[in-house]
Amino acid sequence: MSHQKIDTYRRQLLLGTVAGLAWSQIAPATVANAASGEDAKQPVRGGTLVGLSLLAGEPQVLTAAFNQSGVNAYISSKIFDGLVRFGVDSVPQPELAESWSISDDGKTLQFNLRQGVKWHDGTPFTSADVAFTYQEVWLKLHPRGRSIFAAVSALETPDAHTLVFKLNSPSGVIFSALNSGELQILPRHLYEGTDIVRNPWNLKPVGTGPFRFKEWERGSRIVLERNPDYWDTGKPYLDQFVLRIIPDTTARYAAFDTDAVQYGVLSPLAFNDVERARKNPKLAVEFQGYDWLSSRVALEFNLRRKTLADVRVRRAVAHAIDLDAMARIAARGLATPGTSPVLSSLKRFYDGDVPKYPFDPKLAEQLLDEAGFPRDGEGRRFAITVDWLPFGGQYQRYAEFIVQSLKAVGITAQIRGQDLPQFLKRVYTDYDFDITITHLAGYGDPQLGAERLYWSKSITQGIPWSNASRYSSQEMDGIIESAHVAATEAIRVEAYKKLQVLAMTDLPSFTLLENRHFTIHSRKLHGLNLGSAGCYDSLKDAWLEA
Amino acid sequence: MTQTEGSAVATPDRPTRSRQHGFLARIRGVAVWPLRLKLGLVVLLVEVLAAVLASHLYPGDPFAMVEIPFLKPGEMSGYPLGTDLMGRDIAAQLLHGARFSLLVGLAATLIATVVGVTIGLLSGYFGGVIDHSLMRLTELFQVIPHFLLAITLVSILGATLGNIIIAIGITSWPMIARLVRAETLILRELDYVKISAVMGAGTVRVIVTHILPNALPPVVVAASLLTASAVLMECGLAFLGLSDVSRVSWGGMIGAAREALLDAPYMTLIPGAAIVLTVMALSLIGDGLNQLLNPRGHA
Amino acid sequence: MSSRPTEMPGVAGADEARSERASSVRYVALRLVQILPTLFLILLVAFVLLQMAPGDLVQVMVGESGGATPEYVARLRQTFGLDEPLYVQFLNYALNVVSGDLGFSFRNNMPVLQLIASRLPATLLLAVTALIVSVVLGLAGGAVAATSRGKWPDHLVSLVALFVYATPVFLCGVGLILLFAVALPWFPIGGFADLSGERGAWQAFVDVAAHLALPAFTLGTAYAAIYVRLTRAAMLEVQGQDFVRTARAKGVAPARIVWRHTLRNALLPLVTVIGMQTGSMLGGAILVETVFSWPGLGRLAFEALQQRDYNLLAGLILCSGALVVLINLLVDLVYTLLDPRVRIR
Repeated sequence: MSHQKIDTYRRQLLLGTVAGLAWSQIAPATVANAASGEDAKQPVRGGTLVGLSLLAGEPQVLTAAFNQSGVNAYISSKIFDGLVRFGVDSVPQPELAESWSISDDGKTLQFNLRQGVKWHDGTPFTSADVAFTYQEVWLKLHPRGRSIFAAVSALETPDAHTLVFKLNSPSGVIFSALNSGELQILPRHLYEGTDIVRNPWNLKPVGTGPFRFKEWERGSRIVLERNPDYWDTGKPYLDQFVLRIIPDTTARYAAFDTDAVQYGVLSPLAFNDVERARKNPKLAVEFQGYDWLSSRVALEFNLRRKTLADVRVRRAVAHAIDLDAMARIAARGLATPGTSPVLSSLKRFYDGDVPKYPFDPKLAEQLLDEAGFPRDGEGRRFAITVDWLPFGGQYQRYAEFIVQSLKAVGITAQIRGQDLPQFLKRVYTDYDFDITITHLAGYGDPQLGAERLYWSKSITQGIPWSNASRYSSQEMDGIIESAHVAATEAIRVEAYKKLQVLAMTDLPSFTLLENRHFTIHSRKLHGLNLGSAGCYDSLKDAWLEA
Repeated sequence: MTQTEGSAVATPDRPTRSRQHGFLARIRGVAVWPLRLKLGLVVLLVEVLAAVLASHLYPGDPFAMVEIPFLKPGEMSGYPLGTDLMGRDIAAQLLHGARFSLLVGLAATLIATVVGVTIGLLSGYFGGVIDHSLMRLTELFQVIPHFLLAITLVSILGATLGNIIIAIGITSWPMIARLVRAETLILRELDYVKISAVMGAGTVRVIVTHILPNALPPVVVAASLLTASAVLMECGLAFLGLSDVSRVSWGGMIGAAREALLDAPYMTLIPGAAIVLTVMALSLIGDGLNQLLNPRGHA
Repeated sequence: MSSRPTEMPGVAGADEARSERASSVRYVALRLVQILPTLFLILLVAFVLLQMAPGDLVQVMVGESGGATPEYVARLRQTFGLDEPLYVQFLNYALNVVSGDLGFSFRNNMPVLQLIASRLPATLLLAVTALIVSVVLGLAGGAVAATSRGKWPDHLVSLVALFVYATPVFLCGVGLILLFAVALPWFPIGGFADLSGERGAWQAFVDVAAHLALPAFTLGTAYAAIYVRLTRAAMLEVQGQDFVRTARAKGVAPARIVWRHTLRNALLPLVTVIGMQTGSMLGGAILVETVFSWPGLGRLAFEALQQRDYNLLAGLILCSGALVVLINLLVDLVYTLLDPRVRIR
């Protein structure tokens, strides 16, 4: 099925025109298998798959229900199921929700939960678990929970296997977030009446997923074992999934090379080692599975700085940076030049028809002259500092590239290093920066991933990844708020296209690069989910060649 | 990385040392300098020269991206050591980096020495409550793992040249303080020092004229080793991502090149060799000075 | 630095005459009491340092999770007690510590003590093995150098020691991985153990030993380089002394002289240095643990710092400080065993 077809179909569904139809009827075609030619092979039961942790290190807790760090989502998505699972282009497939329907006016969502699902401790999974998690965890503790469920007026559970969301207005965003990477369901019987953030079960989780928690050797590894009572009978194929914590870059490649680990997601290797992995006959490099996350490198301006308050200066900066060269040199080809705050991989929302800022140093200089910042005797216009997100060395390379680009048009830039806490405080609490080079995730929907940079209501001091440039425009606020109450999904999508045009016109920030995140895996590993959120897949279909 | 204390201990007891000869008298005459001292000094001198001439030999910004990345040494004329991940001239970075690394080493040592000597002298000369409290302080700094303390300080203060120097200096002074205190304890009991005090020389005068010069030789030895360890520590900080990214440093070069260690080991090995060479030179100087100043302690 | 035994950290009034013979028990008790103010100071320093650090745990946690609402942030701060005035926070913390509770690591969702305990064995294993490696290599190298003074083995040993000392420990580690784990796959590339669950004691031992070999060697050689120099110098010093000359004159076999007299004497300064270097080793282990994915305390400390997990970092600083103090106490006791001339006060 072509992407466009699914797209249309999905829109119809969300508009309520095909209400009552279960997604499962169109599902099978959407989970692609790993590299071609492997489909013929039959899955084999058994074996231990060793996965590599993210560079950021050890998880905080083993559930992503309230703590959404990447590594938490990576490991806990094996332990917890989502209500749905994403196929290609974020098409939802049944998981804990067996089917669902949307009322004609789009204001009632009904989910029919799978019967006979049990928590790992044997307790039956019911709609009460979802209702509890919704009320106590997603709404109160989940970083994006309130945005996701902003339109919900009530969640009803008419019986143990039915969930009904009553909405104030139709809300497409909910369907962008029901996977296990984003919204995990916690067992009510272990969490009710406790301090959820400090509940000891966070460290020895009880889920419904294909793998059960076995042991956690601090600083070393986390061992999950096959859940023999998994509802999807016969799955998972693997006996164990082990997450190994390896902090050193060189050792990480060596671990793949020596088969000490066979699987790693979210760009587990230094960019320079990817080419090496590609040439390694034992390893495969996979770029699918990241559309939902839609991760990007962005440049944000501090609009309260005299120089940067002028949109001509911001546009000059954009024209001064050769994004192609940046993607090629600084990102070693593992990124593509950005065009919009919504990534091109989010096809439904992406608008390619926005103001563009091609590499043009002459134009940049002209704009800077017009803005009243001519070169002085030594050829300098003004000086700024570039702060970069300290997530490994990659962002430093980006910052160094920007510094050199700005220097060429007469802006003296200096990079500043600091650790993550200091960076977050400087940018989001003190607003003491000129330009930052940072990372942003799209979370499958501009309502979650993009609008936070442009809405005046998300100028929330102290909150990371909020509107740090402190851009505030009535027009923009109007667009965003209209999207929240859009009567149909088409109107909502239209609003987010307008957002992109205005964002690229006013330019309080812009996307430098669309990251091409990659998965590295052993060629012996098959059955990976290459759907939109494949990086957070449960691995229930994964199997190892004996 | 903080390997100094041990090396300094390579100077065991010097129980019967002539106290009359001052510091200067002992280093007179290059002819009698041990070979290792000369060797170390030559290497260090070359490095200092390189650091000084960096701006003449490579006048541009060493961060400038001048050629395609990953040029191997010798692959293209004009770039004898090749280019790095971002296409920057490694030779230019190496020379400019010499400044930073040597500056960190020397300045951190200076801080450690000034603080250490002061505390050691006060503690040893006055004894009593002063000694007791200063030694408690010294102990405190010795007990907290140095490298951890250095990392903590750099994280808190921010990874800039000045802060890195301060952090390394602050974690390194206790050993100098103990050394000077031990010397002072012996020196203050010597007859001529006592007499001088009895004859009405002021405390400051006694300390400065009699005790300090005689306590200096082991300090000089220790300082050269401290410098070596400071260079290593800067490198270790850079490995953990705590280097001053706005300046070129050897540690920073290694920190960046680490991501390409498998493809381009030369990017790591070139600054690595510079560090090894520097630390070896400084150790040789320390050794040589020890031999020169404390002949009994050595073969 | 002087190798006089009384110059070790933890001994007050060092150069006073050691006259009276006191019972070891009383001495140890006294030393233990003396440790208390030091520990309190460490606690205070750790707390103040961490309060100075810009940024806080809640912001880091929120940052890692990809955002939050202001209400959630306020709630977390309250849960963690970060909204209290500083002195109240310190008082609470100090009181807890006195009662044996090092607090809760909010980042790791676990009591600090439990977390430290879970990683202490790996740390001690690495440190002790590295220590053995360094002492054995150091003594052997030093003995070879001293007995062949001025000849080529002496020069070779000295040169190797110098080179090893000058090589950044992480470069050494990465080099060993590339050589002995990738090119020649004799050792695992890192971690603590591969097998899990049901395994025999012997298999478990072999498994851990294989993982331990490279990191212990890396950390050990860095210190061995120092001990070589130290041993050599000490042995040469002792060789010149009367009792050795007498022994030689009496016709005692050279190997026996080396062992009975000179090497044994060379141990004295070595033991002192080892005591002083405990802290240094714990710090240096951060780099080795990073390179070899060794689940020790050093790496935990670095991560705690990067995440502003105050309770955890303060607890780690406190514990490592206590460890250093205790080891120095132990060193003092060992000293009296090695050298009967030294008496404890």
